[in-house]
Amino acid sequence: MGAKSVNVEVKSNVVKSPSGISVIWREIVKDKIALISLIFLVLVTAFVYGVSLVLDQKEIVKVDLFSIYEPPNDEFILGTDYGGRDVFGQLIIGTRNSLSIAILVTVMTGVIGIVYGLVSGYFGGHIDNIMMRILDFFMILPFTMIVIAFVAIIPKYSVWTFSLIMTAFLWMGLARLVRSRTLAEKELDYIQAAKTLGTSNIKIIFKHVLPNVSSLIIVSMTLSLAGNIGLESGLSFLGFGFPENTPSLGTLLSYARNPQVLEHRWWIWVPASVMILLLMLCVNNVGTALRRATDARQRRG
Amino acid sequence: MAEKLLEIQNLKTSFRIRDDYFAAVDDVTLTVNKNEVLAIVGESGCGKSALAFSIMGLHNRAKIEGNILFKDEDIANIAPSKLNKLRGNKMGMIFQDPLTALNPLMEIGDQIGEALLLHNKELSKSKRKERVIELLNKVGIPRPEYVYEQFPHELSGGMRQRVIIAIAIANKPDLLIADEPTTALDVTIQSQILDLIKDLKDEMDSGIVLITHDLGVVAEMADRVAVMYAGQIVELADVDTLFEEPLHPYTRSLFNSIPNTAEKQDKLHVIQGIVPSLQNLPREGCRFAPRIPWIDNSAHEAHPELHEVKPGHFVRCTCYKHFSFPEHSKEEQQHGVS
Repeated sequence: MGAKSVNVEVKSNVVKSPSGISVIWREIVKDKIALISLIFLVLVTAFVYGVSLVLDQKEIVKVDLFSIYEPPNDEFILGTDYGGRDVFGQLIIGTRNSLSIAILVTVMTGVIGIVYGLVSGYFGGHIDNIMMRILDFFMILPFTMIVIAFVAIIPKYSVWTFSLIMTAFLWMGLARLVRSRTLAEKELDYIQAAKTLGTSNIKIIFKHVLPNVSSLIIVSMTLSLAGNIGLESGLSFLGFGFPENTPSLGTLLSYARNPQVLEHRWWIWVPASVMILLLMLCVNNVGTALRRATDARQRRG
Repeated sequence: MAEKLLEIQNLKTSFRIRDDYFAAVDDVTLTVNKNEVLAIVGESGCGKSALAFSIMGLHNRAKIEGNILFKDEDIANIAPSKLNKLRGNKMGMIFQDPLTALNPLMEIGDQIGEALLLHNKELSKSKRKERVIELLNKVGIPRPEYVYEQFPHELSGGMRQRVIIAIAIANKPDLLIADEPTTALDVTIQSQILDLIKDLKDEMDSGIVLITHDLGVVAEMADRVAVMYAGQIVELADVDTLFEEPLHPYTRSLFNSIPNTAEKQDKLHVIQGIVPSLQNLPREGCRFAPRIPWIDNSAHEAHPELHEVKPGHFVRCTCYKHFSFPEHSKEEQQHGVS
């Protein structure tokens, strides 16, 4: 009886070790810049996706010759472009499209890169050799040139096709990263121990190896999300992204290629530029906070 | 006569170094019976662990020749899916380092439960938890309900080793391979863990292969002992015979190297030289000959084989008949080393 009551008392005193999510949360809250960035990101995302539900894309991209190049006024909050189209509406739809592409590309490159890297690293030997040579082949392909070629080939562009093209040439970095960590991880005893239990290779890969490289994956995917926003804008700016009837942050920016617009009609390109800057900066801030959370020596929280 | 559980016949495990294969385990023939502890002793790098990994089929890129019969089924050349049915179910393994042998991101309960789940699909979740807690109790972990939800880093080394043992015995295996189970633990925990393994053996009636370099552990635990040197078994005997009457020069040198508190010794006996690396291993003649250079070459056999000197007592090579420690071994070694 006495022993039992002691046990109960001890139990109530022990603190469960913090879960991964609570560590990340604490780190973000401690880092004020990261917290503001996260709030901003959530607000922008919610606003953009919410508003675009009620906005009609066709209506916004319709040319209206009576209201060309109008500066910001009561009717058009951010003015109009050379086709008389509302810049504010384009900005919202453009941000939605750019974010969608960045998220889609990040998720798809993530899935391909993780599976490729895990399989290559775990099995090693000849499989690893062959898979890594294929990866090397993709690495040496000139990304920009090939995307330009695809733009010329594919007649109708959508968020999906554009994401797929980008994904095809962006998965290699994560695959390499995951492979290198898997190579180290699979040599540890607990993998051998799992084998002695009769666990199959597939189960070991996804149940034992994957969780142990997950911190690396989360951080690297968050940081590449920022890169993908920039990459999409860059391609669209060069004219190899979306056509004008599908606005993105990059297409808005590309109006600035006209020196007239650049000099006298700031309301067309400045909001998109600021939006790109803010989005990339915020994602990066959250990403670095995540990175600190995964490394106990760098934590602030 | 005891029932044979594991029979290793002419096992040869070779590793590829550059373009050649080198045998780390060379022509090993062994049997393990039910309810018996077979100890395998030898220096680091003599092939003890390579042997254990061969039995469990853990080598990725090694060439394995010979047969490993587990309950009359050859597991050396078996399909991986069939082997997976045996591993964790009929065969269990205890690893050397409790710090790395547990998945750092999985709760203890899940890790033990995994072994149960893999081999007993119809066990319900609550039954499984019950069984895990029972196992934790069995290996002597206090407050098992609480430890069930803990992560490996929250436990001490000894506790972790108990968890590893609990995983290994989860399905009551017939064969348990313990690869230096106490090397990473301090002495007080060591004896507790050894007692635990011994109790479990009696309870489950299983055969245990105990791999160690600690002769004290051997004396306490083993029924029979195989002494390995450079991939070969040089002496095989039951534990009393071996400790009373060691024959092979290597076994005798090993015993001679143990510090003795009863007699006053200034210097410890040291076996000359080091274990040769895999590539430089002499494949012809007696492999221990280079380390006892004062014994004449004619004393060794050209192709050393295991001789049965007494029923159940095997010794390799004939050099044991002519072996003695040199007269002024201490001084000689001083000069030999420097």
